[in-house]
Amino acid sequence: MSKRTILLIEPDVVLAETYRSILEKKGFRVRHVFGAQDAVVAADEKKPDLVICELQLVSHSGIEFLYEFRSYPDWRQIPIIVLSLVPMAEFKDSMFGLVERLGVVRYLYKPMTGLVELVREVDFVIG
Amino acid sequence: MDPARQTKDYLLPHQLLLSIAEQMKLPLLQIARQAELVNLSRDLKDISGIQALATNALQLLDAYSLSLQLKNNAGFELAPETTSVASVLYDANRQLQALARMYNVQLELNIGGRFEPVLAHRKGLESAIIGLASAFIETLPAQVNGGDLKLQLATHRCRYGIVAGVYADMPGLRSEALNRGRKLYGRSRQPMVDVSHTSGAGIFVADAIFKAMSLKLHASRHRHLYGLGVVLKTSSQLSLV
Repeated sequence: MSKRTILLIEPDVVLAETYRSILEKKGFRVRHVFGAQDAVVAADEKKPDLVICELQLVSHSGIEFLYEFRSYPDWRQIPIIVLSLVPMAEFKDSMFGLVERLGVVRYLYKPMTGLVELVREVDFVIG
Repeated sequence: MDPARQTKDYLLPHQLLLSIAEQMKLPLLQIARQAELVNLSRDLKDISGIQALATNALQLLDAYSLSLQLKNNAGFELAPETTSVASVLYDANRQLQALARMYNVQLELNIGGRFEPVLAHRKGLESAIIGLASAFIETLPAQVNGGDLKLQLATHRCRYGIVAGVYADMPGLRSEALNRGRKLYGRSRQPMVDVSHTSGAGIFVADAIFKAMSLKLHASRHRHLYGLGVVLKTSSQLSLV
């Protein structure tokens, strides 16, 4: 079976390399991009099985990106995990939209999500 | 605090503290995750990265605590002294090299030329430059994705004195972005959203430190690069010697 591909949208190099390292060790193929525009290009080149996305991106809001991503019919069914420095409490009013409209399957707060937990969640969603 | 000064400040101490706490999440998170990775992989070669991140976090905390002291204590001043800009930039460059390597950023020093000593509080100037450069290093890879990851600590002469600053290939870094950031800092998670994915605390802490030295941070150009810099007055007393 071919490796499952994860599109990792993470603006911080150090964190991106850490996440990529553990996910690749667990057998996933990881394509890392820094921002929204590159994410669209990367998804167009190779349709990912899962998107992991930070909401604080340069120039774009991650939410804007998610709306754009979901506007392409081919990508509507791709599961999305939000892995962010923004606490979920700040989205309590719009959580319904994140889940129902944007298909966010997990919202993980970075400071409280260790690498083991991240791998467990990824495994659960696409493993 | 002097009420007149308080109204002029665009940021109240509690907002600064909140912003600093938010900003410190990133290096602590990086340290925690890297340590977890080392623990999981039993690969100790990554331990030097953790050391670099922790050292930079301590440097930032130093700059942040200085800016908070300035906010909270009207009598606490950064009195000017005769200082060599080149030596300040040289020391800042040395302290930031390990962090720059973590981000694959090539940190260069551009202090060529003969510059007179300037009037500035040495420690304050160094803390501000480290804060500024750290903010740039963090954001540069995402900002110039695939481009030239070069950052310069540089100095040049201008009509009003000697400029010391931090420069990169970031065209979005203009006066309007800085002024908008000043208005939004402490109120928005990304006050300079076109330039940085973080709160950019290093920039605004530097801004507060410069203000305490009666200096003003402004958008500046150095050759073909964009950046932020401060104009320092030359020390005429020593020029006569």
